Amino acid sequence: MTNVHYDVDDDTIAVVEDTNLPRRLKDEVYETLEDRGDATVEDADELSKAVEARYMDTRVDPLDPVGTVSAQSIGEPGTQLTMNTFHYAGVAEIDVTQGLPRLIELVDARKTPDTPMMTVYLEDEYATEREKAHEVVWNLEATKILALGDVSTNVADMRVQISLNKDTLEERMITAEEVAEIIEDNLGVSTVQQGTEIQFGPEEPSYRDLLQLVEELRDITFKGIEEVSRVVIRREELDEGEQFVLYTEGSAFGDALEIEGVDASRTTCNNLHEIHRNLGIEAARETIIEETHNTLAEQGLDDVNVRHLMLVADMMTNRGEIESIGRHGISGSKQSVLARAAFEVTVNHLLNAAIHGEIDDLDGVTENVIVGKPIKLGTGDVDLRMGSTDSGGSQAD
Amino acid sequence: MVDVSQHELVPEHTVLDEDVLEEVLAEYDIDRTDLPKIKRNDSALPDEAEIGDVIKIVRDSRTTDQAVVYRLVVE
Repeated sequence: MTNVHYDVDDDTIAVVEDTNLPRRLKDEVYETLEDRGDATVEDADELSKAVEARYMDTRVDPLDPVGTVSAQSIGEPGTQLTMNTFHYAGVAEIDVTQGLPRLIELVDARKTPDTPMMTVYLEDEYATEREKAHEVVWNLEATKILALGDVSTNVADMRVQISLNKDTLEERMITAEEVAEIIEDNLGVSTVQQGTEIQFGPEEPSYRDLLQLVEELRDITFKGIEEVSRVVIRREELDEGEQFVLYTEGSAFGDALEIEGVDASRTTCNNLHEIHRNLGIEAARETIIEETHNTLAEQGLDDVNVRHLMLVADMMTNRGEIESIGRHGISGSKQSVLARAAFEVTVNHLLNAAIHGEIDDLDGVTENVIVGKPIKLGTGDVDLRMGSTDSGGSQAD
Repeated sequence: MVDVSQHELVPEHTVLDEDVLEEVLAEYDIDRTDLPKIKRNDSALPDEAEIGDVIKIVRDSRTTDQAVVYRLVVE
């Protein structure tokens, strides 16, 4: 038991540890006892039992409409979120969707967020040495031809001429030979390379081919991952000390994890589906909670209790994949016709139900409200009967 | 290849024995199919997991120390 840092005797420890409290509360009990100094074992026992009783009381009552409570608890602060997306996220120059649009993205489980971003942590020497960190940067950031040099077309000779910048080549750790080779592989033309000058041309002297080659040339990614358009390095103070952390605009989580120097145990991204694909459903669930919490916290609304967010995340990941809350996901797969019709696309659902002779069991909240019956949650779960019971022994059902 | 189970977002996944499973189902009074699901191709699953198995997942919880959940492996 991790209670070495508390100045209490073993009997007290035994008594506190015996309760059903979570670690945090046990630690608080220890702290209180430590501060008191004169607390006896009986005091400790009384205290921990009292804390335990209160803790048990705070648990949710059976049949509390937890879903509605969570929806309101998230929705109400949601009205205070900004609707526009334009701020920088506090991290060096990288634009991230914030506020209400981001919350909507998360809850709708959008396949491609507006501002995909990765937070890449580095391992060992890559995290502490600038040179090594830069190596990873260039293996991540997509390098296109225009970053490497100038492209010009010589229409008279039907040649495309590329003039590479020596410093850039050195900085990005790529050689002119490699550039030429990549061009040859991608465009299917043979190139003439002299130092930092590369030339090539279309097979037939056609203007169209020439211009097409130039267009295709612009699209080639020479180094790094195509989806990553920009990488920013920052030196940050972490628990493990000062480390370089990379932030990317653009996300290719699976590919990024494989790059040498990338710490594959801490690197993360803000795209739910990529996390799900690469790390599994539990990681996705955790990411949903983290991202929704951060979105709210950014606007100062960090006191939304995490269990509401946990409920949303649990619901979205219950079936093993990420389902959206809306009509293409959870709300659309409800059994009740009336519930679906009341949500969106009313007539379609009613029409299909009529055609197929569907039956609505009236189990849920929405449909019972529609027909005017009490709902099955809260007090609605209780059946009240009046009558008398006979002599002792027979209990009312 | 990257070892997914090393990532800090991924909790421990273990395949549950049948007898332990019976106890769990009895305690919650549910059927196997009532459990939350996990896909067979999920990256965090241990290799020996098959469709129909139940996975025990131990998470570090935000509301308590550790939370144990179970997921049924589906297609």
